[in-house]
Amino acid sequence: MNKETKISLVVLAVGLTAIAIYWFLPQNMGSAQTSTRHSAKEEKIILPQYDRQVYRDIPQVQQYISDLEKMIRQGQAVLPLQSSELNSDTRKVQALLLHNASFLQDTKEGGKLLHNDMMRILPAIASSLDEKSQKICSSHTCYQAEKYNFVTNATTRAIVDADDMKVLAVERYPNTQPDISLRLKHIAEAIALHAPEVARELGHTPAKKDITMANVRGTMKESPCENTDHLCVAPTFADHQKEQALWAVVDLTELKLAAAKWAGLGKTTTPACISERSLQNRYIMKHFCQKNSVLEKNGWKITYRLTGSDGLEIRYVTFKGRPVLHSAKIVDWHVSYQQKGGEKLDTSTETYIEGRRVEFVKGEDGNYLFGYNDAMGCPLFSTSVVLAFNGPQVRALKSGDGFMLTQDFRNPKWPMACNYRYENRFEFYNDGSFRVVGVNKGRGCGDNAIYRPVMRIDMALGDQEDFYSYDGNWKRWDSEQSERVPDGGERFAYKVVADSDRQKGYYIEPNHRQFHDNSRGDHATLFVTKFKPQEGDKDLLTLGSCCDLNNDGVEQYLKPPESLKSSHLVLWYVPRIRNDARPGHEYCWADTVIGDDGNLHVQVWPCTVGPKFVPLERKK
Amino acid sequence: MKRYLPIFTVFAILLAVGLYVIDKKNQTIPAQKMTRVSGDIGEFGRQHSCARPPQFLSRMHIPQPVMIDLSQKRFKGIALLYGKGFKKVLHPKQWEQYAHFGTYAVDEKGNVYLVPIPFISIHPDTFNLQKNIYKLDSKSGKLSVLMHFEGIVPSSKNPYGLNTIAYDCDSRTLWAAAIDKSDYSTQQGVIYHIDPKSRKILQKIKGVDVLSMALVRTSLGKFLLVGSARDNGLYAYPLKKDRLLPKPVRLLTLPDPNEHIRKIKIKGNNTLELQSIPFTYALIARSDRKDRMYYRVTWNREKKQWETEKM
Repeated sequence: MNKETKISLVVLAVGLTAIAIYWFLPQNMGSAQTSTRHSAKEEKIILPQYDRQVYRDIPQVQQYISDLEKMIRQGQAVLPLQSSELNSDTRKVQALLLHNASFLQDTKEGGKLLHNDMMRILPAIASSLDEKSQKICSSHTCYQAEKYNFVTNATTRAIVDADDMKVLAVERYPNTQPDISLRLKHIAEAIALHAPEVARELGHTPAKKDITMANVRGTMKESPCENTDHLCVAPTFADHQKEQALWAVVDLTELKLAAAKWAGLGKTTTPACISERSLQNRYIMKHFCQKNSVLEKNGWKITYRLTGSDGLEIRYVTFKGRPVLHSAKIVDWHVSYQQKGGEKLDTSTETYIEGRRVEFVKGEDGNYLFGYNDAMGCPLFSTSVVLAFNGPQVRALKSGDGFMLTQDFRNPKWPMACNYRYENRFEFYNDGSFRVVGVNKGRGCGDNAIYRPVMRIDMALGDQEDFYSYDGNWKRWDSEQSERVPDGGERFAYKVVADSDRQKGYYIEPNHRQFHDNSRGDHATLFVTKFKPQEGDKDLLTLGSCCDLNNDGVEQYLKPPESLKSSHLVLWYVPRIRNDARPGHEYCWADTVIGDDGNLHVQVWPCTVGPKFVPLERKK
Repeated sequence: MKRYLPIFTVFAILLAVGLYVIDKKNQTIPAQKMTRVSGDIGEFGRQHSCARPPQFLSRMHIPQPVMIDLSQKRFKGIALLYGKGFKKVLHPKQWEQYAHFGTYAVDEKGNVYLVPIPFISIHPDTFNLQKNIYKLDSKSGKLSVLMHFEGIVPSSKNPYGLNTIAYDCDSRTLWAAAIDKSDYSTQQGVIYHIDPKSRKILQKIKGVDVLSMALVRTSLGKFLLVGSARDNGLYAYPLKKDRLLPKPVRLLTLPDPNEHIRKIKIKGNNTLELQSIPFTYALIARSDRKDRMYYRVTWNREKKQWETEKM
């Protein structure tokens, strides 16, 4: 082998090695611009307990509400600035504006006064003036005054010539929030200081000197807070040693803490526009959609999670160590509306109401039904349209003999028409009983709605279970089937028992209005099917028709009916509720009214359905 | 001289293998994490579009201008509006068969390429429809599946598949993106570069969730502008010889972190028009006017920065 050949072989070996190294080298090496120095410490979100009463006891809040109510009683709609915020000139300007028809034009609706606050009066800024005003104000003393309408979420700005005491211009800015008054700033501080969540997070009761409000008027001005119609500010507690700050988002429309968030002090992590909704979404995703949670209480052990489209699901439930449920959830709410004039119905093109596709089904006697299927679930990365609001909550039962695990789901625009709010609730009693509950809080599209929540209940009494109905005698169901649950009649209309131990099992107690929750009964259909993983053990995307009242969707799992003998069973319970919007008789309904304080208040008339499961031994 | 032949041969072999390896490796490039550095992509004017109206329109004596309606409010699938006030409608039943579309791109022959969108409620075939790029043929007016991507897997936890598309008039190719594999904690979207003739994927950029895209030629070269589905940023990927370089530049950030850029229009004079929505990878409709924000963004040459103005 000559010298050149040897050199060639060496070059070949080195070259191939270099190529191999290049091939296996990660592509992103050397991308210096991928900055890690900006990466913030993990942000922590704290959701409040939503007890507004905590804040109603704060003296500043009490005084404010009292002033509002007094003002409305006196036939006025604009809460004036306090004298500490005024000088002799601005006092006169305020008095002038509080009697100016143009300035007050948007303060009444349907004869009701709407809550407005005068936010600030300051020397007019040249950029706020039109040409005519600029001319006058070049030789006169002019002021600009801003008021905020809490009901319509609009700001009104007036320019006043203080020398001639004339209103030069009035402009209204819909969906715009002004800088807040000193009084509201103090109220926001008081709410932040009194919020139990803030004290818990800080590890001590904070003092007023701990608050920095520097960003309130600037960066939080457009904060959507709970929704875009609320006025929100963010008092901040900075911890310079840890290089982080606790942002307390205060909703001044509702006078409560809306959310709080730990964030770094660095520029890139400053939550310049915190939205309560987005904070909630992130909190819910991280804690309840990404992982299971476990609750242990009063002998119960419950694993729970939020699903993509089947609401709140409880799994692997045990009572005093004994398995009770594999899974229970509400997979869907069928929503349908009855109308006359079915013969004229044109179903050749699809119809959408409030961003949802509407299905039409022709009924009898010229009637037709239209509506949609409402899936509930995680707020992000899901197929739901009614979204989890706040996280699952644990509360004591009113009866005092147990607790509930409950989750609120809402359309973002509830209680506006064609928007819905549902609650998935599981009640656990100290005697081992439990109840699967669906609560509808309206409002829907009209007063002729029929709601059908589809409940899937997978018991854990062993691999072999038997199901019985009672008609004077207990009758075993030998094959997959369904029946309308008789209204009234026996308290325990059904039972499900373990095949291996007939003493182990549960009676099923349909809701015939006996649960003292103002319910008008379940009027349900009950289905029993053999367990199959593909039939709802994972998320069920769709299940039947919203509007065919002869079809709850579960029927497809009965075709053909299979034997239930010694099988792992799944119960499907589908209540049927008719809403009511008649004054004094409201049911499954919500309404928004202007209250004594000139603010909007939501009234809810919930309807509650669902069966209770009582251990066999309890009847003895 | 002859004795040096083995050395020259080895160098030639290494060069050929090296070029092949570089090319192969660039076929599938993981996207760099989107950078946070403001970027100068040079100056740009109004862009020449090669898009032509579909040929079947003249055969049907449908006059220009024609508007493509993908709003899904009145018509499922695609509808063409024309006539005074765009009150006349062309919407054959066949154009409904693949359900709903999110956006489109048009080529120089008048073919319209469409990507799907899961719209409001899920049906048994919804997920499968998200795996396709569709083509409305310029000559026949027939809507068909151009390409099927079996690897795209929408689910109840993220119902989206292919979700945006742009046509490159220079290379006569398509740029499309899918976001199906992304979840709450990881960004796993893919940008595809596609030859519509051969239906071959020319390049894939992984690890980026794109909600909107547009091509722009500037004094510094050609860029693929990308609105993120993940955050409120607008990014630019440089293009070299029709291949996307994997390192994007963050051009600007919209004021609200919940806003995501859904449409990018190049208005010329260093100005873009952006439309944003609060995208959440869920099915909540964002058709309300209140949900949409419009911005005019301009590259300020003196200050070397993007200026954002709400419209």
